[in-house]
Amino acid sequence: MDNLPENLKQPMIDLLLAVADDKLMLGHRNSDWTGLGPILEEDIAFSSLAQDEIAHAQVIYELLSPLVDKTADELAYGRSIDQYRCAQIVELPDGFDWAVAIARQFFCDHFDRLRLRALSHSSYKPLADVASRLAAEEQVHVDHVDAWIVRLGKGNTDSKQRLQTALDQLSPIAPMLFEPVDHEAELITAGLYPQAETDMFHAWRDVLQHVAHEGGLALELSPPNAGAQGGRRGHHSEHLKSLLDEMCEVYRLEPGVAW
Amino acid sequence: MIDTESIMDVLREIPDPEMPISIVDLGLVEDVRIETNGDSAVVSIDILPTFVGCPALPMIENEIRTKVGAVEGVGEVSVQFIYDPPWSVDRISDDGRRSLAAHGVTVPEHGSKLDVPGHGSTVELRTSAIACPFCNSNETRLDSQFGPTRCRMIYYCESCKNSFEHMKRV
Repeated sequence: MDNLPENLKQPMIDLLLAVADDKLMLGHRNSDWTGLGPILEEDIAFSSLAQDEIAHAQVIYELLSPLVDKTADELAYGRSIDQYRCAQIVELPDGFDWAVAIARQFFCDHFDRLRLRALSHSSYKPLADVASRLAAEEQVHVDHVDAWIVRLGKGNTDSKQRLQTALDQLSPIAPMLFEPVDHEAELITAGLYPQAETDMFHAWRDVLQHVAHEGGLALELSPPNAGAQGGRRGHHSEHLKSLLDEMCEVYRLEPGVAW
Repeated sequence: MIDTESIMDVLREIPDPEMPISIVDLGLVEDVRIETNGDSAVVSIDILPTFVGCPALPMIENEIRTKVGAVEGVGEVSVQFIYDPPWSVDRISDDGRRSLAAHGVTVPEHGSKLDVPGHGSTVELRTSAIACPFCNSNETRLDSQFGPTRCRMIYYCESCKNSFEHMKRV
Protein backbone atom coordinates (compact mmCIF):
# COMPACT_ATOMS: atom_id res chain seq x y z
CA MET A 1 0.00 0.00 0.00
CA ASP A 2 1.08 3.55 -0.64
CA ASN A 3 -1.20 5.24 1.87
CA LEU A 4 -1.65 4.54 5.56
CA PRO A 5 -5.03 3.84 7.17
CA GLU A 6 -6.00 6.85 9.27
CA ASN A 7 -6.06 4.98 12.59
CA LEU A 8 -2.51 3.68 12.12
CA LYS A 9 -0.99 6.96 11.05
CA GLN A 10 0.05 8.14 14.51
CA PRO A 11 1.63 4.81 15.55
CA MET A 12 3.54 4.73 12.26
CA ILE A 13 4.73 8.31 12.83
CA ASP A 14 6.01 7.28 16.27
CA LEU A 15 7.75 4.21 14.88
CA LEU A 16 9.46 6.15 12.09
CA LEU A 17 10.51 8.81 14.59
CA ALA A 18 12.03 6.07 16.76
CA VAL A 19 14.03 4.76 13.79
CA ALA A 20 15.19 8.19 12.63
CA ASP A 21 15.86 9.62 16.11
CA ASP A 22 17.98 6.59 17.09
CA LYS A 23 20.02 7.09 13.94
CA LEU A 24 20.37 10.84 14.28
CA MET A 25 21.59 10.70 17.90
CA LEU A 26 23.88 7.73 17.28
CA GLY A 27 25.30 9.46 14.21
CA HIS A 28 25.88 12.59 16.26
CA ARG A 29 27.69 10.56 18.93
CA ASN A 30 29.73 8.81 16.21
CA SER A 31 30.83 12.17 14.86
CA ASP A 32 32.37 12.97 18.27
CA TRP A 33 35.20 10.65 17.21
CA THR A 34 36.08 12.55 14.04
CA GLY A 35 39.68 13.59 14.50
CA LEU A 36 39.96 11.63 17.75
CA GLY A 37 39.76 7.97 16.66
CA PRO A 38 42.37 5.72 18.26
CA ILE A 39 43.78 4.83 14.82
CA LEU A 40 43.34 6.47 11.43
CA GLU A 41 41.11 3.69 10.05
CA GLU A 42 38.72 4.04 12.98
CA ASP A 43 38.71 7.80 12.69
CA ILE A 44 37.49 7.28 9.12
CA ALA A 45 35.17 4.46 10.17
CA PHE A 46 33.37 6.49 12.86
CA SER A 47 33.15 9.50 10.56
CA SER A 48 31.61 7.22 7.89
CA LEU A 49 29.24 5.70 10.44
CA ALA A 50 28.14 9.23 11.34
CA GLN A 51 27.57 10.10 7.68
CA ASP A 52 25.62 6.88 7.13
CA GLU A 53 23.41 7.25 10.19
CA ILE A 54 22.62 10.90 9.62
CA ALA A 55 21.84 10.19 5.95
CA HIS A 56 19.59 7.31 7.04
CA ALA A 57 17.85 9.59 9.54
CA GLN A 58 17.34 12.19 6.82
CA VAL A 59 15.65 9.79 4.43
CA ILE A 60 13.30 8.57 7.19
CA TYR A 61 12.45 12.17 8.18
CA GLU A 62 11.68 12.78 4.50
CA LEU A 63 9.27 9.83 4.54
CA LEU A 64 7.66 11.36 7.61
CA SER A 65 7.52 14.82 6.17
CA PRO A 66 4.20 14.55 4.29
CA LEU A 67 2.59 12.66 7.20
CA VAL A 68 3.27 15.44 9.71
CA ASP A 69 3.50 18.42 7.36
CA LYS A 70 6.99 19.35 8.57
CA THR A 71 10.32 19.43 6.75
CA ALA A 72 13.09 16.95 7.55
CA ASP A 73 15.06 19.75 9.23
CA GLU A 74 12.10 20.79 11.36
CA LEU A 75 11.72 17.19 12.48
CA ALA A 76 15.41 16.73 13.20
CA TYR A 77 16.04 20.01 15.01
CA GLY A 78 12.75 21.69 15.75
CA ARG A 79 10.99 19.47 18.28
CA SER A 80 10.79 19.75 22.05
CA ILE A 81 12.70 17.09 23.95
CA ASP A 82 9.64 15.00 24.90
CA GLN A 83 8.74 14.65 21.22
CA TYR A 84 11.87 12.64 20.44
CA ARG A 85 11.47 8.86 20.34
CA CYS A 86 15.09 7.64 20.55
CA ALA A 87 16.15 5.03 23.09
CA GLN A 88 18.27 6.29 25.96
CA ILE A 89 21.35 4.26 24.99
CA VAL A 90 22.01 6.51 21.98
CA GLU A 91 21.85 9.62 24.17
CA LEU A 92 24.67 8.64 26.51
CA PRO A 93 28.03 10.30 26.04
CA ASP A 94 30.77 7.68 25.79
CA GLY A 95 33.28 9.84 27.64
CA PHE A 96 35.71 9.15 24.78
CA ASP A 97 36.11 5.65 26.09
CA TRP A 98 36.71 3.51 22.99
CA ALA A 99 35.35 0.38 24.65
CA VAL A 100 32.06 2.14 25.50
CA ALA A 101 31.80 3.48 21.95
CA ILE A 102 32.28 -0.03 20.52
CA ALA A 103 29.89 -1.65 23.01
CA ARG A 104 27.17 0.90 22.26
CA GLN A 105 27.68 0.38 18.53
CA PHE A 106 27.40 -3.38 19.06
CA PHE A 107 23.99 -3.17 20.76
CA CYS A 108 22.61 -0.47 18.47
CA ASP A 109 23.86 -1.63 15.05
CA HIS A 110 22.53 -5.16 15.51
CA PHE A 111 19.18 -3.84 16.70
CA ASP A 112 18.99 -1.34 13.85
CA ARG A 113 19.72 -4.01 11.25
CA LEU A 114 17.04 -6.37 12.61
CA ARG A 115 14.48 -3.57 12.77
CA LEU A 116 15.27 -2.47 9.20
CA ARG A 117 15.06 -6.03 7.92
CA ALA A 118 11.60 -6.32 9.45
CA LEU A 119 10.56 -2.97 7.97
CA SER A 120 11.85 -4.01 4.54
CA HIS A 121 8.85 -6.40 4.50
CA SER A 122 6.40 -3.68 5.55
CA SER A 123 3.17 -3.47 3.59
CA TYR A 124 3.75 0.31 3.45
CA LYS A 125 5.72 0.34 0.23
CA PRO A 126 7.58 3.68 0.48
CA LEU A 127 9.01 2.47 3.79
CA ALA A 128 9.80 -1.07 2.60
CA ASP A 129 11.76 0.26 -0.41
CA VAL A 130 13.92 2.51 1.74
CA ALA A 131 14.33 0.01 4.58
CA SER A 132 15.74 -2.73 2.36
CA ARG A 133 18.41 -0.33 1.12
CA LEU A 134 19.22 0.80 4.65
CA ALA A 135 19.39 -2.79 5.92
CA ALA A 136 22.02 -3.62 3.31
CA GLU A 137 24.10 -0.62 4.35
CA GLU A 138 23.68 -1.46 8.03
CA GLN A 139 25.24 -4.87 7.42
CA VAL A 140 28.60 -3.15 6.93
CA HIS A 141 28.24 -1.54 10.37
CA VAL A 142 27.46 -4.89 11.94
CA ASP A 143 30.47 -6.57 10.32
CA HIS A 144 32.68 -3.71 11.48
CA VAL A 145 31.62 -3.76 15.11
CA ASP A 146 31.58 -7.58 15.38
CA ALA A 147 35.19 -7.67 14.21
CA TRP A 148 36.11 -5.16 16.93
CA ILE A 149 34.28 -7.05 19.67
CA VAL A 150 36.28 -10.19 18.82
CA ARG A 151 39.52 -8.31 18.31
CA LEU A 152 39.32 -6.50 21.66
CA GLY A 153 38.04 -9.61 23.45
CA LYS A 154 40.97 -11.65 22.17
CA GLY A 155 43.47 -8.79 22.37
CA ASN A 156 45.05 -8.72 25.81
CA THR A 157 43.90 -8.62 29.41
CA ASP A 158 43.54 -4.87 29.34
CA SER A 159 41.45 -4.66 26.14
CA LYS A 160 39.27 -7.57 27.25
CA GLN A 161 38.70 -6.11 30.71
CA ARG A 162 37.81 -2.68 29.36
CA LEU A 163 35.35 -4.08 26.84
CA GLN A 164 33.79 -6.38 29.43
CA THR A 165 33.30 -3.39 31.74
CA ALA A 166 31.67 -1.42 28.92
CA LEU A 167 29.35 -4.32 28.00
CA ASP A 168 28.38 -4.72 31.67
CA GLN A 169 27.72 -1.00 31.91
CA LEU A 170 25.41 -0.84 28.88
CA SER A 171 23.71 -4.26 28.93
CA PRO A 172 21.08 -3.24 31.54
CA ILE A 173 19.82 -0.32 29.41
CA ALA A 174 20.40 -1.74 25.89
CA PRO A 175 17.23 -3.91 25.86
CA MET A 176 15.16 -0.72 26.11
CA LEU A 177 15.88 -0.37 22.40
CA PHE A 178 12.96 -2.83 22.19
CA GLU A 179 10.54 -0.67 24.17
CA PRO A 180 7.51 -0.46 21.86
CA VAL A 181 6.08 2.82 20.67
CA ASP A 182 2.41 3.41 21.58
CA HIS A 183 0.14 1.03 19.62
CA GLU A 184 3.10 -0.82 18.10
CA ALA A 185 1.18 -4.11 18.34
CA GLU A 186 -1.40 -2.72 15.92
CA LEU A 187 1.31 -1.91 13.38
CA ILE A 188 2.59 -5.48 13.67
CA THR A 189 -0.88 -6.99 13.23
CA ALA A 190 -1.55 -4.79 10.21
CA GLY A 191 1.63 -5.96 8.47
CA LEU A 192 3.19 -2.51 8.61
CA TYR A 193 5.93 -3.72 10.95
CA PRO A 194 5.98 -7.47 10.31
CA GLN A 195 7.92 -9.65 12.75
CA ALA A 196 9.91 -12.73 11.87
CA GLU A 197 9.01 -16.05 13.48
CA THR A 198 11.83 -15.77 15.98
CA ASP A 199 10.99 -12.90 18.21
CA MET A 200 13.29 -9.97 17.51
CA PHE A 201 14.62 -9.65 21.05
CA HIS A 202 15.78 -13.27 21.11
CA ALA A 203 17.29 -13.03 17.63
CA TRP A 204 19.20 -9.95 18.83
CA ARG A 205 20.32 -11.51 22.11
CA ASP A 206 21.45 -14.74 20.37
CA VAL A 207 23.62 -13.03 17.78
CA LEU A 208 25.15 -10.66 20.34
CA GLN A 209 25.97 -13.53 22.68
CA HIS A 210 27.41 -15.58 19.85
CA VAL A 211 29.81 -12.79 18.88
CA ALA A 212 30.66 -11.91 22.49
CA HIS A 213 31.46 -15.54 23.30
CA GLU A 214 33.66 -15.70 20.20
CA GLY A 215 35.68 -12.94 21.86
CA GLY A 216 35.64 -14.72 25.22
CA LEU A 217 33.29 -12.12 26.73
CA ALA A 218 30.26 -12.62 28.96
CA LEU A 219 26.95 -11.01 28.06
CA GLU A 220 23.60 -11.30 29.83
CA LEU A 221 20.55 -9.58 28.40
CA SER A 222 16.95 -9.62 29.66
CA PRO A 223 13.89 -8.34 27.83
CA PRO A 224 12.71 -4.92 29.02
CA ASN A 225 10.02 -4.91 31.71
CA ALA A 226 6.56 -4.72 30.20
CA GLY A 227 5.61 -1.43 31.85
CA ALA A 228 8.99 0.28 31.58
CA GLN A 229 8.74 3.76 30.12
CA GLY A 230 11.73 5.10 28.25
CA GLY A 231 12.71 7.02 25.16
CA ARG A 232 10.06 5.52 22.89
CA ARG A 233 7.42 7.27 25.06
CA GLY A 234 9.39 10.49 25.31
CA HIS A 235 11.14 9.84 28.64
CA HIS A 236 14.77 10.73 28.15
CA SER A 237 17.98 10.89 30.11
CA GLU A 238 19.47 14.23 31.16
CA HIS A 239 22.05 13.73 28.40
CA LEU A 240 19.60 14.26 25.54
CA LYS A 241 19.10 17.88 26.52
CA SER A 242 22.78 18.74 26.27
CA LEU A 243 23.07 16.72 23.07
CA LEU A 244 20.17 18.65 21.50
CA ASP A 245 21.48 21.99 22.78
CA GLU A 246 24.72 21.33 20.94
CA MET A 247 23.26 19.72 17.82
CA CYS A 248 20.49 22.29 17.34
CA GLU A 249 22.48 25.38 18.33
CA VAL A 250 22.74 26.80 14.83
CA TYR A 251 19.23 25.79 13.76
CA ARG A 252 17.72 27.55 16.78
CA LEU A 253 19.41 30.84 15.90
CA GLU A 254 16.90 31.27 13.13
CA PRO A 255 14.59 28.31 12.54
CA GLY A 256 13.54 27.82 8.94
CA VAL A 257 16.20 30.06 7.44
CA ALA A 258 17.43 28.93 4.00
CA TRP A 259 21.11 27.96 3.87
CA MET B 1 13.54 15.26 -32.61
CA ILE B 2 14.31 14.27 -29.05
CA ASP B 3 14.26 10.60 -28.23
CA THR B 4 15.31 8.53 -25.25
CA GLU B 5 18.59 7.54 -26.88
CA SER B 6 19.66 11.13 -27.47
CA ILE B 7 18.96 11.93 -23.82
CA MET B 8 20.94 8.83 -22.78
CA ASP B 9 23.85 10.10 -24.89
CA VAL B 10 23.82 13.30 -22.88
CA LEU B 11 23.63 11.38 -19.59
CA ARG B 12 26.58 9.23 -20.69
CA GLU B 13 28.68 12.40 -20.66
CA ILE B 14 27.89 13.14 -17.02
CA PRO B 15 30.51 11.70 -14.66
CA ASP B 16 29.67 10.58 -11.15
CA PRO B 17 31.16 13.24 -8.82
CA GLU B 18 32.96 10.59 -6.76
CA MET B 19 33.73 7.89 -9.34
CA PRO B 20 35.69 8.02 -12.59
CA ILE B 21 32.73 6.74 -14.66
CA SER B 22 29.51 8.13 -16.04
CA ILE B 23 26.24 7.93 -14.16
CA VAL B 24 24.96 5.62 -16.92
CA ASP B 25 27.86 3.17 -16.53
CA LEU B 26 27.37 3.29 -12.77
CA GLY B 27 23.80 2.10 -13.34
CA LEU B 28 22.08 5.10 -11.78
CA VAL B 29 19.70 5.82 -14.66
CA GLU B 30 16.59 3.68 -14.37
CA ASP B 31 14.18 5.40 -16.73
CA VAL B 32 13.90 8.32 -19.11
CA ARG B 33 10.45 9.54 -20.18
CA ILE B 34 9.73 12.20 -22.76
CA GLU B 35 6.46 14.04 -23.11
CA THR B 36 6.18 16.32 -26.08
CA ASN B 37 4.19 19.44 -25.47
CA GLY B 38 3.96 21.47 -28.67
CA ASP B 39 7.48 22.71 -29.43
CA SER B 40 9.05 21.78 -26.12
CA ALA B 41 9.53 18.45 -24.43
CA VAL B 42 9.29 17.55 -20.76
CA VAL B 43 11.97 15.03 -19.81
CA SER B 44 11.65 13.07 -16.57
CA ILE B 45 14.52 10.93 -15.39
CA ASP B 46 14.44 8.32 -12.62
CA ILE B 47 17.71 7.94 -10.74
CA LEU B 48 18.62 5.19 -8.28
CA PRO B 49 20.90 6.45 -5.51
CA THR B 50 23.84 4.16 -4.74
CA PHE B 51 23.95 4.91 -1.04
CA VAL B 52 20.94 6.40 0.69
CA GLY B 53 21.33 10.13 1.15
CA CYS B 54 24.65 10.11 -0.73
CA PRO B 55 26.02 13.67 -0.60
CA ALA B 56 26.74 13.52 -4.35
CA LEU B 57 23.02 13.36 -5.23
CA PRO B 58 22.33 17.11 -5.37
CA MET B 59 25.38 17.54 -7.64
CA ILE B 60 24.16 14.77 -9.93
CA GLU B 61 20.69 16.31 -10.07
CA ASN B 62 22.13 19.74 -10.96
CA GLU B 63 24.33 18.30 -13.68
CA ILE B 64 21.41 16.45 -15.23
CA ARG B 65 19.18 19.54 -15.14
CA THR B 66 21.88 21.68 -16.72
CA LYS B 67 23.05 19.26 -19.41
CA VAL B 68 19.69 17.83 -20.42
CA GLY B 69 18.06 21.24 -20.12
CA ALA B 70 20.57 22.56 -22.68
CA VAL B 71 19.41 20.10 -25.36
CA GLU B 72 17.48 21.92 -28.05
CA GLY B 73 13.77 21.38 -27.70
CA VAL B 74 13.85 20.41 -24.03
CA GLY B 75 11.62 22.71 -22.02
CA GLU B 76 11.60 21.10 -18.63
CA VAL B 77 13.67 18.48 -16.82
CA SER B 78 12.53 16.63 -13.72
CA VAL B 79 14.74 14.26 -11.74
CA GLN B 80 13.31 11.74 -9.28
CA PHE B 81 15.34 9.66 -6.86
CA ILE B 82 13.66 6.30 -6.41
CA TYR B 83 14.52 3.17 -4.38
CA ASP B 84 12.57 0.58 -6.34
CA PRO B 85 14.33 -1.23 -7.91
CA PRO B 86 17.24 -0.87 -5.51
CA TRP B 87 20.61 0.05 -6.96
CA SER B 88 23.22 -2.67 -6.62
CA VAL B 89 26.80 -3.10 -7.83
CA ASP B 90 25.40 -5.50 -10.45
CA ARG B 91 24.13 -2.46 -12.32
CA ILE B 92 27.66 -1.26 -13.08
CA SER B 93 28.36 -1.90 -16.77
CA ASP B 94 31.38 -3.87 -18.05
CA ASP B 95 32.83 -0.67 -19.49
CA GLY B 96 32.32 0.94 -16.10
CA ARG B 97 34.06 -1.95 -14.35
CA ARG B 98 37.07 -1.68 -16.67
CA SER B 99 37.30 2.06 -16.17
CA LEU B 100 37.06 1.72 -12.40
CA ALA B 101 39.73 -1.00 -12.36
CA ALA B 102 42.05 1.26 -14.36
CA HIS B 103 41.62 3.80 -11.57
CA GLY B 104 42.31 1.26 -8.85
CA VAL B 105 38.71 0.57 -7.81
CA THR B 106 37.38 -2.99 -7.92
CA VAL B 107 33.72 -4.05 -7.92
CA PRO B 108 32.21 -7.20 -6.38
CA GLU B 109 31.37 -9.94 -8.89
CA HIS B 110 27.95 -9.98 -10.50
CA GLY B 111 25.25 -11.70 -8.50
CA SER B 112 25.79 -10.01 -5.15
CA LYS B 113 22.66 -10.26 -3.10
CA LEU B 114 21.01 -7.22 -1.64
CA ASP B 115 19.23 -9.23 1.00
CA VAL B 116 22.08 -10.42 3.17
CA PRO B 117 21.76 -13.88 4.71
CA GLY B 118 20.34 -14.35 8.23
CA HIS B 119 22.06 -13.35 11.40
CA GLY B 120 24.71 -16.07 11.38
CA SER B 121 28.23 -15.36 12.49
CA THR B 122 29.54 -12.24 10.87
CA VAL B 123 32.70 -12.13 12.92
CA GLU B 124 35.07 -12.92 10.06
CA LEU B 125 36.18 -9.92 8.09
CA ARG B 126 35.41 -10.55 4.45
CA THR B 127 38.74 -11.47 2.96
CA SER B 128 37.57 -13.61 0.03
CA ALA B 129 40.01 -13.26 -2.83
CA ILE B 130 39.59 -9.91 -4.51
CA ALA B 131 42.08 -9.61 -7.32
CA CYS B 132 44.37 -6.59 -7.16
CA PRO B 133 43.46 -4.17 -9.97
CA PHE B 134 47.15 -3.32 -10.47
CA CYS B 135 48.92 -6.72 -10.51
CA ASN B 136 45.98 -9.15 -10.55
CA SER B 137 47.29 -11.00 -7.50
CA ASN B 138 44.80 -12.67 -5.17
CA GLU B 139 47.09 -12.03 -2.21
CA THR B 140 44.95 -9.17 -0.96
CA ARG B 141 43.41 -8.38 2.39
CA LEU B 142 40.75 -6.05 3.71
CA ASP B 143 42.42 -3.09 5.35
CA SER B 144 39.37 -1.02 6.34
CA GLN B 145 35.64 -1.39 5.76
CA PHE B 146 35.34 2.34 5.40
CA GLY B 147 37.06 4.43 2.76
CA PRO B 148 37.07 7.79 1.02
CA THR B 149 33.36 7.66 0.24
CA ARG B 150 30.47 5.80 1.82
CA CYS B 151 30.33 3.23 -0.97
CA ARG B 152 33.98 2.12 -0.91
CA MET B 153 36.34 0.21 1.37
CA ILE B 154 40.12 -0.19 1.36
CA TYR B 155 42.06 -3.32 0.42
CA TYR B 156 45.82 -3.90 0.44
CA CYS B 157 47.75 -6.05 -2.01
CA GLU B 158 50.51 -8.10 -0.39
CA SER B 159 52.14 -8.76 -3.77
CA CYS B 160 52.59 -5.29 -5.22
CA LYS B 161 52.20 -3.47 -1.87
CA ASN B 162 49.53 -1.13 -3.21
CA SER B 163 46.30 -0.10 -1.54
CA PHE B 164 43.20 -0.16 -3.68
CA GLU B 165 39.51 0.56 -3.22
CA HIS B 166 36.70 -1.94 -3.43
CA MET B 167 33.05 -1.05 -3.74
CA LYS B 168 30.85 -2.29 -0.93
CA ARG B 169 28.69 -5.27 -1.75
CA VAL B 170 25.29 -3.64 -1.60
